[in-house]
Amino acid sequence: MTTTSEPQQTTTTALIPKARGRLVETTLPRLPAPDHEQRPARVRRRALIGGEGLLAGALTTLVLTVLGVNISGYPMVNDDEGTYLAQAWAVANGQGLAHYTYWYDHPPLAWIQLAGLSWIPGLFGTEGSTVATTGRIAMLPVIAAVVLLVYVICRRLGMAVWPSAAALLVFGLSPLTVVMYRGVYLDTFAVVWMLAALALVLSPRRNLWHFTAAGAATAIAVLSKETMLVTLPAVVLALWQHTARSSTRPWAAGGYLSGLVLVGVFYPLYALLRGELFPGADHVSLIGAWQFQLGSRAGSGSVFTDGSIAGNLVGSWLDHDPYLLAGGLIATVVCLFVRRLRPPAVAGAILVLIACRPSGHLPVMYVVQLLPFFAIAVGGVLDLVGRRAPARRRLLRLAVPLVLAVLAATFVAPRWWAGNQVALTADYHDGYVAAARYLRDEVPDRANTTIVLDDVLWLECVDAGYRPERTIWFYKLDLDPAVAARLPNGWRDVDYLVSTPALRGDSTSLPAVNTLLTNSTVAAGFGEGEGRIEIRRINKENP
Amino acid sequence: MILISVVLATFAAVTLWWTMHAWRTPETLAATRFAEPDGDHRLTFSLLLPARHEQAVLEHTIQRLLHSTHQGYEIIVIVGHDDPDTAAVAHAAAAKAPGRVLVVTDHNEVKNKPRALNTALPFVRGDVVGVFDAEDQVHPHLLEHVDHAFRTTGADVVQGGVQLINFHSSWYSLHNCLEYFFWFRSRLHLHADKGFIPLGGNTVFVRTDVLRTANGWDGTCLAEDCDLGVRLSSRGAKVVVAYEASLVTREETPDTIGSLLKQRTRWNQGFLQVLRKGEWRRLPLRQRVLARYTLTGPFLQAFSGVAIPIGVAVGVLADLPVGIALATFVPFVPMAANIVFQTIGLRDFGKQYRLRIRPRHYAWLLAGAFPYALLLSVAALRAVWREYSGRRDWELTTHVGAHLQNANAEAGAA
Repeated sequence: MTTTSEPQQTTTTALIPKARGRLVETTLPRLPAPDHEQRPARVRRRALIGGEGLLAGALTTLVLTVLGVNISGYPMVNDDEGTYLAQAWAVANGQGLAHYTYWYDHPPLAWIQLAGLSWIPGLFGTEGSTVATTGRIAMLPVIAAVVLLVYVICRRLGMAVWPSAAALLVFGLSPLTVVMYRGVYLDTFAVVWMLAALALVLSPRRNLWHFTAAGAATAIAVLSKETMLVTLPAVVLALWQHTARSSTRPWAAGGYLSGLVLVGVFYPLYALLRGELFPGADHVSLIGAWQFQLGSRAGSGSVFTDGSIAGNLVGSWLDHDPYLLAGGLIATVVCLFVRRLRPPAVAGAILVLIACRPSGHLPVMYVVQLLPFFAIAVGGVLDLVGRRAPARRRLLRLAVPLVLAVLAATFVAPRWWAGNQVALTADYHDGYVAAARYLRDEVPDRANTTIVLDDVLWLECVDAGYRPERTIWFYKLDLDPAVAARLPNGWRDVDYLVSTPALRGDSTSLPAVNTLLTNSTVAAGFGEGEGRIEIRRINKENP
Repeated sequence: MILISVVLATFAAVTLWWTMHAWRTPETLAATRFAEPDGDHRLTFSLLLPARHEQAVLEHTIQRLLHSTHQGYEIIVIVGHDDPDTAAVAHAAAAKAPGRVLVVTDHNEVKNKPRALNTALPFVRGDVVGVFDAEDQVHPHLLEHVDHAFRTTGADVVQGGVQLINFHSSWYSLHNCLEYFFWFRSRLHLHADKGFIPLGGNTVFVRTDVLRTANGWDGTCLAEDCDLGVRLSSRGAKVVVAYEASLVTREETPDTIGSLLKQRTRWNQGFLQVLRKGEWRRLPLRQRVLARYTLTGPFLQAFSGVAIPIGVAVGVLADLPVGIALATFVPFVPMAANIVFQTIGLRDFGKQYRLRIRPRHYAWLLAGAFPYALLLSVAALRAVWREYSGRRDWELTTHVGAHLQNANAEAGAA
């Protein structure tokens, strides 16, 4: 058991007659902690300091540059981005958790965090873009953390430096990552916390408080976007594997559980304290929202059916980058069979299986959660390949990464280059910018104008002097009784309608929006085709 | 309200942090154990055994001590001049083991444990003084390990583990056992590392010269063990704590809630006395802060143990704004985490001592947490009241030997 050696001592037992009363002087050195049986023979230095830190930092900067340049021009702004930013605005301005009645559609932690980051875009100036797209700049630190965590997790899974760096680049430079991570999505917050949890349970020192923090990080991830919960088994597996043959496993598990439950419980507690935990006749409720999300939400079909919403969505992901998706899928399957690489593979596999279920809702940003796990799996496979080379032949060991790099440059790089070039130059957002300018400059008496629009322009209008209660997100006309009550004369109380792709896409299922569309004429139009934005004046005289 | 929450949460978090010290990493856990001895016996021990109205358990304790594998030790039993029953048992034991067992009679008018120990100090012949209580079950290999620990670490004081065993007796015994478990298994190690330690009342070993230089124990202090630890720490003594489940000294919990309350009142009052003596002010700043915090710890703990659940109740029942109501729950988080860890501790305790923990014991743990906190608060209040009203006499706890019966039952079962 002990490892202290005492060469000076003789092995014969010295028989001392009882109580001589004189202390035998010790000649041995003072050893602070005599027992180190559990210390690994070779402690690997995994801290991100020195040269390795510079490498990871430099690669992260490169990725951030690709992500950050032209961030407000591409891709087309999504209505959800506007929603989350508006909700963050509500939090930052002390108006509660949303700019409308908060109905527990998503847990609120992501936009609470976004509200905390909302000062960042101001540092860069907002010329030539709308509030909705400058909000993307606030996400850059979060993305930087995701990118770095991919690297840290790879290293903590025991990968060499070059496969870890490769995973970082594969993740960060994939055109799919660039297009998806530029958006203001809750998933990005969820991913960063889940990756943090994974990195923490892989803590080299196996510190109890790291495990506890991992539990808290998991809870924060789930409270940022509830669907992240499905990757929980990956973190638990990593915890279980990493504490195997350790004397502190039950304590580590207890710490993780405490962190997870005790942070997670605050969400239902919030609902309980507001009397909104259980469904009731005249109020929103947490459990009611869960029932809706799980049961009644319209499915998007199977990813395997041609022409279904889900099928089209996966098709568009593949258009952006088939390599990371296909390579990641294969790598995930391979890593499932390697013990040390199993946790990220489990996360990836669960996410793939859920996407493949025959029906159910598949959101646009679903792939955001998947990408880092795929990239880590790719890194894992590269690491496995690298280890095949015999350790003694250094030349061969150097050759493996080089050959792989040449292959990547030949086959993958051209496509990625083209994809990212679009991302760096295209401006899909000028229609919104022009519409925002019109609403700011051309509409008289903005404080007394009632306007119905999508969430991308909502914040823009409030910023331009429209009153929040008279600036109406089109969804709420049909779905929020509190909003309908603000318009005693129905659609005739509305002055303007801003028709955007998002609004037209949903108008078929929203009768009040449809009425507005039919009873209005174009006052100004920007852009052509599907992306056209029209500012329509309501014809109040219509019968 | 939010400020109180923050203070309570901080306190609960620090308590949790310290309580879990030993389990921080596998390396820290490994370092809390005794090193395997080398079989060499270099030191001689004088084991002090004060006994007062403890004739029922004394004989057994002495017999067990005589089974020690160490070669050089003597047992000094200290009995009161007014306690013939215990004295008879002690003298009978001394007659059976001449040279090993010595009986010293304490003629002090006011009797308490530190005075008894001081009475025996002039008779001590060993290099190291060890203190045990009359009801202790001491492991035969303990002295060998302590001998080795003194020699390899160069310590002035070695504190061994003490463990209450009879967790099955009642709900409060269970909590009491777990308190000991976390204290000796984990928290004391942190104190030893940081250089400020309130020692335990027994299974504590001090180099005789160090003890004599410190003038022995304080006969007026109700927590002479804590006081000795503070005084030795202040003089820069090196203290080593080691815990090994197989070697701990087994004890029993007080047999009624009343005596538990008395015992705890005595300790708390003792802590207060040590605090007021101010010996700890000699320490460097960091240890001084630790000392102040540790010595007031029982009172803060008693306060927060009651205040936190009350805060939560107010948060739920009163019509507060949601933000403030949520804030009242924050201190509950470390407290609940503590209960989770206690549950794991109970499981670990059962494994280490080969005791069967049944579902009802876990239920006692959960259901008893608040009543036990209440009990500690009453003891803390009582201690403050007694100290400031000048009642400083010694309320002794009686021992019925529940842990011995348990051991016998175990032996029978095995």
